[in-house]
Amino acid sequence: MSEIKIIEKTQVPSGALMLFGFPDVGLVGVIAASHLIEELNLEEVAYLDSSLLPPIIVLHDGVPHSSIRIFGNDKILLAVSEMPISANIIYQVMDALLDWGKSKKVKMMVSLSGIPIEDRQDATELKVFAAASSPDVLKTIQGKNMEALMEGYMVGPQAIMLMRCAQSGLPAVTLMAQCFLNYPDPEAAGEVLKGLDTLTGIKVDIAKLLEKGEEIRLKARDVMQRTQEEMSKMKKGQEYDLPVYVS
Amino acid sequence: MAIRKRRSFPDFLDTYFGDFEEEFERWREAVIEKPSWNLKTCAIQPLSDMKVTATEVIMTVDLPLTQEKTVEVKPLDDRTLEISAEMKRKIQFKELGITHRKGEFRKLHCHTRVPVPVQMNKMHVDFKKGILEIHIPRKKEQRQKEGLSRDF
Repeated sequence: MSEIKIIEKTQVPSGALMLFGFPDVGLVGVIAASHLIEELNLEEVAYLDSSLLPPIIVLHDGVPHSSIRIFGNDKILLAVSEMPISANIIYQVMDALLDWGKSKKVKMMVSLSGIPIEDRQDATELKVFAAASSPDVLKTIQGKNMEALMEGYMVGPQAIMLMRCAQSGLPAVTLMAQCFLNYPDPEAAGEVLKGLDTLTGIKVDIAKLLEKGEEIRLKARDVMQRTQEEMSKMKKGQEYDLPVYVS
Repeated sequence: MAIRKRRSFPDFLDTYFGDFEEEFERWREAVIEKPSWNLKTCAIQPLSDMKVTATEVIMTVDLPLTQEKTVEVKPLDDRTLEISAEMKRKIQFKELGITHRKGEFRKLHCHTRVPVPVQMNKMHVDFKKGILEIHIPRKKEQRQKEGLSRDF
């Protein structure tokens, strides 16, 4: 028996766009994903069940839910985790989600994330970078005037997604907005959603997100704290390293 | 010849166990999980970060929903800072997504220990976009002991 099961709650559409919003720097992906769920009224279509996960459930409206769930409509599938995923099981979790997505014949995978910058509080404009799974996807990104991440290291679930998609030939992009490393960053989440619009045409109003920004920062402190601990175990700091080019 | 005053045994114990208790308290705070809020003081603990450079210690604290004029940074001793800020409005538990607890919060509060000797009296504080930034110069003697003659 597989160690990780994805249990479908409703009919899941084929050929959708699959998005990922997992806890990472600035909680950019999670904040952006929560806003997408709210603005697009996405329903929970599936959830991940595994004895590899810590014994944690999330109670919403009085009933238990898995901490890793997939929301969607007929066009989008959005995998989101409310808890940081431990470095020890990140490969198994991502492989299960990616295999499930492929079984649903998703046309593209997009991970929403952040890229930390020094002195973030002084930044007046936040750039969004895109990393592609193949030269063709890279051309698409550049054709949309998006700034491609050409060199460097990437650490975390988005790195696994990009690599696995590159191996299997499924188009994939990781969008990264400049953000705080250790503080929840709703403004960066807004920027990554603008990047998603440019890339895929999925439009959401980010005014409410920015308006609620301070409340989100207050609420997200504990998840950010736990995410920091996992990021440290994953050697997230390696993203700051200067790459050694091997040609 | 210099006369070295001998410390009494009770004094020695007080000092030794005083230090030990302090260290134990720091270890306990770091290891044992506890809530990031305190209902008695109506305070929420903010996220903070610290960086030690060759010349200074830079600390940032995330203080959302607070007003700059209420931010207080107070040295408690030569290594410890207490930071607090009043919130723009009271925050109830239910606004934080918790319905099974009752209570409200009025401020963000934390205290933190600087890991190297610093000149607290030369501290510089800035507040931008809800982020408090504190710069404290390091003590020169300590830097010289560490062989850090150049600034990076």
